Amino acid sequence: MDIAFLTIAELSRAYDQRELSPVEVTRALLGRIARHDGKLDSFVRVTEDVALAEAKAAEAELMAGRRRGPLHGIPYGLKDIVETAGIPTTGHSKLRQHHVPKEDAEIVRRLKEGGGILMGKLATWEFANGGPSFDLPWPSARNPWDRERLPGGSSSGPGAAVAAGFVPAAIGTDTGGSIRGPAALCGIAGLKPTYGRVSRRGVFPNTFTMDHIGPMTRSAEDIALILQVIAGFDPADPGSEECPVPDYAAALGQGVSGLRLGLVEGWHDAPGAHPDLGPAIADAVSELERLGATIEPVELSSLRDYTDCKTTISIAELYTIHEHDLRTRPEDFGRILRNRILPGALIRAGDYQAALRWRTALAREQQVAFKTFDALITAASRNIADPAEPDRPDRLVTAPSITMPFSVSGVPAIAIPCGFSKAEGMPLSLQIAAAHFQETTVLRLAHAYQQATDWHRRHPELGE
Amino acid sequence: MRDDLSHLPPASPDDIRAMLARAGIGLSEEHMQQFIATWPQFEAMVRRIPRGLGYADEPAHIFRPSRLAGD
Repeated sequence: MDIAFLTIAELSRAYDQRELSPVEVTRALLGRIARHDGKLDSFVRVTEDVALAEAKAAEAELMAGRRRGPLHGIPYGLKDIVETAGIPTTGHSKLRQHHVPKEDAEIVRRLKEGGGILMGKLATWEFANGGPSFDLPWPSARNPWDRERLPGGSSSGPGAAVAAGFVPAAIGTDTGGSIRGPAALCGIAGLKPTYGRVSRRGVFPNTFTMDHIGPMTRSAEDIALILQVIAGFDPADPGSEECPVPDYAAALGQGVSGLRLGLVEGWHDAPGAHPDLGPAIADAVSELERLGATIEPVELSSLRDYTDCKTTISIAELYTIHEHDLRTRPEDFGRILRNRILPGALIRAGDYQAALRWRTALAREQQVAFKTFDALITAASRNIADPAEPDRPDRLVTAPSITMPFSVSGVPAIAIPCGFSKAEGMPLSLQIAAAHFQETTVLRLAHAYQQATDWHRRHPELGE
Repeated sequence: MRDDLSHLPPASPDDIRAMLARAGIGLSEEHMQQFIATWPQFEAMVRRIPRGLGYADEPAHIFRPSRLAGD
């Protein structure tokens, strides 16, 4: 049994059967991090003392027959914009490198209550936006499949750490694709829940209207288990939605027979995509058809439209978040983030309002599609992971994004692995989105696909 | 034809300097040159946003008094 790559569901079963204990698992993973993370830099800070204390507490409770739920005794990591009381939360930035929060983020409170074990704070692009950067106080995380490549971002550390077998789960954040992108490029699962499904309170903002918090794991089943713990209304988050939380794990076994899926034309198959992506998506579509779903093409607005809309809104909001620091200490930002914030200073109120009004129209376009289709299918990344080269052009402005359409609409969307590129051996990924609060549909499809395939069971070799 | 602002000429480096100054942003010359190289791509994005929406097409941003009433 390789502890490093057990899923949450498998670890829970091993705890139930007394084959493993939380302390044993935590020690094994801390050892693996110590041996290998020097090559990947996925952690900003390993919280070894906290992890061992929480593991001992979980172990005592489990031994006494007091099981809190599916995350009890499960190690996890947090992207370092999620506030942790008494533990530095840096945003991977010089501006906050000594910031120690007084309170936990709401999501941390829920994870603690669920009996999770905090292994550490994970690398991020600067403030979940500016990256990949090579001029910050901590190095950029690397991709476990090829250390000369990047894991994507902005949840770079969570993507790398889960793929490397350092933790079975991590919490990321997603404004324009920051969970789904790294999940895709690292060959793991990542869910951006519906906007308002998971509390943002205590998570350093990237924007005010598009930030989502969500799980990154190695299987769709594990996504369901974490979502069960972290989802739910938070009256102190103005964006939180008061909407019942279904039993996500119960939905997994429903199969996909009879589901109607729309394969979005002109997104994953537009010029510029990796040549192996089209065949990988076609194979995934065939597999879902074989499992009983029906699939038809659907046309939506272009990726360029969605990217223009999302980026205009997000940089205007990003500027308001960082304006004071930008005026007073611009040199303390990394180059990439500074050059992404500054445009917000030049966006007029009319531009911002026009983009917000367009957002409504684009979101409605998807609502109409969801009257015909139970889910929309596309890729989660149009390319494999980029080489770790500091002077590469900023992708935010050079290429339209395939994750931003579902950021604009705020619907749930998952990335799951669906193959590997032939020449480079790097992960390729499928993206599945459904209507607002239909995470059950997304997870049901992803789980059925993973039951029929083994892409998510392949792991990178880290060597000695 | 879409009603947007993409027909406008791009801002010149002097325009960009003036706009930043009006926004109260002071940059070193090195940082200014980096931004002058960056802004045209963002400017193109912003100008492609359609402007011809009707009055009833309201922003996605919603003000909900009931949330404040709960404070």
